[in-house]
Amino acid sequence: MLVVDDEASVLLTYRLILEQQGYEVVACGTSREAIAAIEKQPFDVVLCDYSLEEQHTGFEVITAARKRDPETPAALLTGYATKDTADEASTQGIGIMFKPIEIDEFLATTSTMVRKKNESNEKGGEKGNAAPQTRRQG
Amino acid sequence: MGSLMATAEIRLQPERVNGRRAAQPRRPAVLRLLQAERSEEIFPLLLEEIIALGNPRALVVDVNFDSGEVTPAAALKWPRQQMEKFATALWVSENPLVSVIHTARPQVLGKTSLYNRPLYIHPILYSNRNLCWEADRIRTGSCLAVQNFRRQKRIRLEDQVCSTCEMRAYAAAVVVELPKGHTEQGVAELGELIDLANRYLSRLFKVEHYYNRMRDMEITIAQMGTVMQSMADPVILTDTQHRVIMQNKAAERFFKVPDEMTEGLVRAVEFNNLLFSAALSSMLVSGSDSHRDLTLVDAIEGEEMLFEAVSAPTYGPDGIQLGTVTVMRDVTDLRRADQELRLNYDRLREAEEVVRQDRDRLNLIIENVGDPIVVCDSRAKIVLTDPLAQEVFGAGTDAGPDAVQFKNQTAFGAYIDSFTYSFSERENAPLRLYNPTLKQEIEYDARSGKIFDEKGQVSYTVTVLRDLTALRRVEQLKVERRMLEIEKFAATGRLAATIAHEVNNPMEAIKNAIYLLAGAVPESAMPVYTILKSETERVARIVRQMLGLYRNTEQVKPVNVNTIIEDTLLLLNRQLQRANVEVQSELENLPDAVIAADQIRQVLSNLVINAKDAMPNGGRLRLRTRHIPGADELHGWVRIVIADTGTGIPQEMIRSIFEPFVTTKGEKGTGLGLWIVKGIIQNHAGKLSVKSKLGTGTVFKIDLPVVKL
Repeated sequence: MLVVDDEASVLLTYRLILEQQGYEVVACGTSREAIAAIEKQPFDVVLCDYSLEEQHTGFEVITAARKRDPETPAALLTGYATKDTADEASTQGIGIMFKPIEIDEFLATTSTMVRKKNESNEKGGEKGNAAPQTRRQG
Repeated sequence: MGSLMATAEIRLQPERVNGRRAAQPRRPAVLRLLQAERSEEIFPLLLEEIIALGNPRALVVDVNFDSGEVTPAAALKWPRQQMEKFATALWVSENPLVSVIHTARPQVLGKTSLYNRPLYIHPILYSNRNLCWEADRIRTGSCLAVQNFRRQKRIRLEDQVCSTCEMRAYAAAVVVELPKGHTEQGVAELGELIDLANRYLSRLFKVEHYYNRMRDMEITIAQMGTVMQSMADPVILTDTQHRVIMQNKAAERFFKVPDEMTEGLVRAVEFNNLLFSAALSSMLVSGSDSHRDLTLVDAIEGEEMLFEAVSAPTYGPDGIQLGTVTVMRDVTDLRRADQELRLNYDRLREAEEVVRQDRDRLNLIIENVGDPIVVCDSRAKIVLTDPLAQEVFGAGTDAGPDAVQFKNQTAFGAYIDSFTYSFSERENAPLRLYNPTLKQEIEYDARSGKIFDEKGQVSYTVTVLRDLTALRRVEQLKVERRMLEIEKFAATGRLAATIAHEVNNPMEAIKNAIYLLAGAVPESAMPVYTILKSETERVARIVRQMLGLYRNTEQVKPVNVNTIIEDTLLLLNRQLQRANVEVQSELENLPDAVIAADQIRQVLSNLVINAKDAMPNGGRLRLRTRHIPGADELHGWVRIVIADTGTGIPQEMIRSIFEPFVTTKGEKGTGLGLWIVKGIIQNHAGKLSVKSKLGTGTVFKIDLPVVKL
């Protein structure tokens, strides 16, 4: 699972929470780092801050991830979004979570995305389980 | 005089004369003549005396002043056939008879063509030595009788009427045939006798004249009396002591004590007399002014009557005042009519004043309407325009309309013509006219009404022309201003969002960190940890709300509110279902409202979530929309009603729920939701109201303005 946020403290807490849930997490502070990480390895789920360093956006990261695997579930984490942003996200099948994010909602959304990815993998069948099935269930 | 002489002739019967002479001894001629009691008896007696003096025959010719004829009137011993020779006329001046009459001097003629024997001709003319009583009384010398007697002037036979007593004189001549051997003395005696007879005749004549005058006067007096009595107005003749000398019947009604005496009547009459006497005295004192108003009591009817008394003094022949004649005119009705007339006139003036004030007020209103007003008559002709309409159609008074105004008149004429002759009482139609101020053709909203006369016929039409473009421009400005307000609100929101955004990331980290610490907090620190957690969540909610103000801001544009409601319900459907809330929506057809759709979406979602939160055990949420058209078809409202069957808002809170940071949800609420709702609705120039009953539910009502542009 790839988590991207340009705010180091936020990024750290996301990583810790997700790891607490048993996910294997790669945390990146910039889009450049994230895209590089995607090139190194595939991710089941991408959670990405919308506004990143300089003028980069989370769309770039998600696009890169989907280049590698078009079925990759992704969600934007953002403080605010214009209608255009929201529209674009929905047409691309990208979820949006508005900060401050309720942790329950955050965890529920994440687990849904993971399940979705697992289902698609089972259908495709070629990749096997990349994400761990953890105790998060329930 | 002619008739008088004719009678005399009949009496001149010789037998009777002879008989009288035979019966009585002969008395002197003077005394004999005195026997005459009437003028016509003189000539017969005179002729007898002339014959008695020894003259063979005698006759009298009489002058008719009217015809100028001179004819024999009486004769004695003169054969009838010979008498005709003496008939002549005054203008036959060569006739000795005529010349004697003209000169008034006796003459003795010898044998002439007139008569073959000597004749004595003596003139007889009305004459007196002294002035008559009348001339004497008025002290004038102008007495015909005296003038004739004195023969101071030439005798004017054509003018023998006395200028003083109006007596008509007489003229005649006595013709006597003289006996043979007549002496001068005999002729002189004859002359004296005839003169004497003439003096008697003159006196008798005068007496008869007076008698005749007296008779004429009696007739005149009787006539005057009749006139006076028949006058409807009281007429009273009083003496100088104001004693009544004479009064007519109309006056007796007021001033004469009636036969049947009642005390009231007598008193009334006495009172009238007193008033009348006083009026006379005052008139006498004032001298010139002889008019007085006098209120008298009608002694018979007992009514008060108003009279106008006019008095004039009466004078005797000697110029001394004898008394006063007073004529009284009954002016009771006249005064009453006059008063009524004056009263009606005053009323008319008052009514006119009211009408004038009404008109002024109306003019003031018309001048201040601010739209052109045109009044037309029943034939659709413009009769009245206000200053604004005069700009459009011309003033009608000066040089006449210019080309543009004429064109406007034609356009308006076609419109008002069809309205005037139509059956409808009102008309409302667009009318394109050239506006001289804007220098372009614009669309007016013409509103017309009819004024009917009492017969139900159209007497006038009134048309107000509303400049719709101006109105629309105003509306446009209002919308623009509202957009600016919304923009300002959005700017505030942006600022809040910027702050929120800056707070957001640290917040996110803090919140996450607290979550991560959950298992690592010692038991003793748990209360503090709980506070830390809940207060952080509260800050998170506030930040979320503040971000919501700015989230998805967009332009103001015409939107159908129903679609926003549908969107909102779709978005919140899951939440509502989960909360066991049944949704009922009744959405009417709506015109588009010019709004910021996202802000209204936020309003709706805030209210729907509030409703949901108010129904923790589920319930019913009703959403209704309705179009409320404005009175002028241009404006109107879109109404949104959101009603829940929830817990309701306590009465003491209902005033403050729209204030910031007031919440009924305790820790769960930010207290910003309704404050934001209120701000957004205000920015849209909308109206927001709430009704709530504890335990029954809450109803929010939102009215958003719609303008037809």
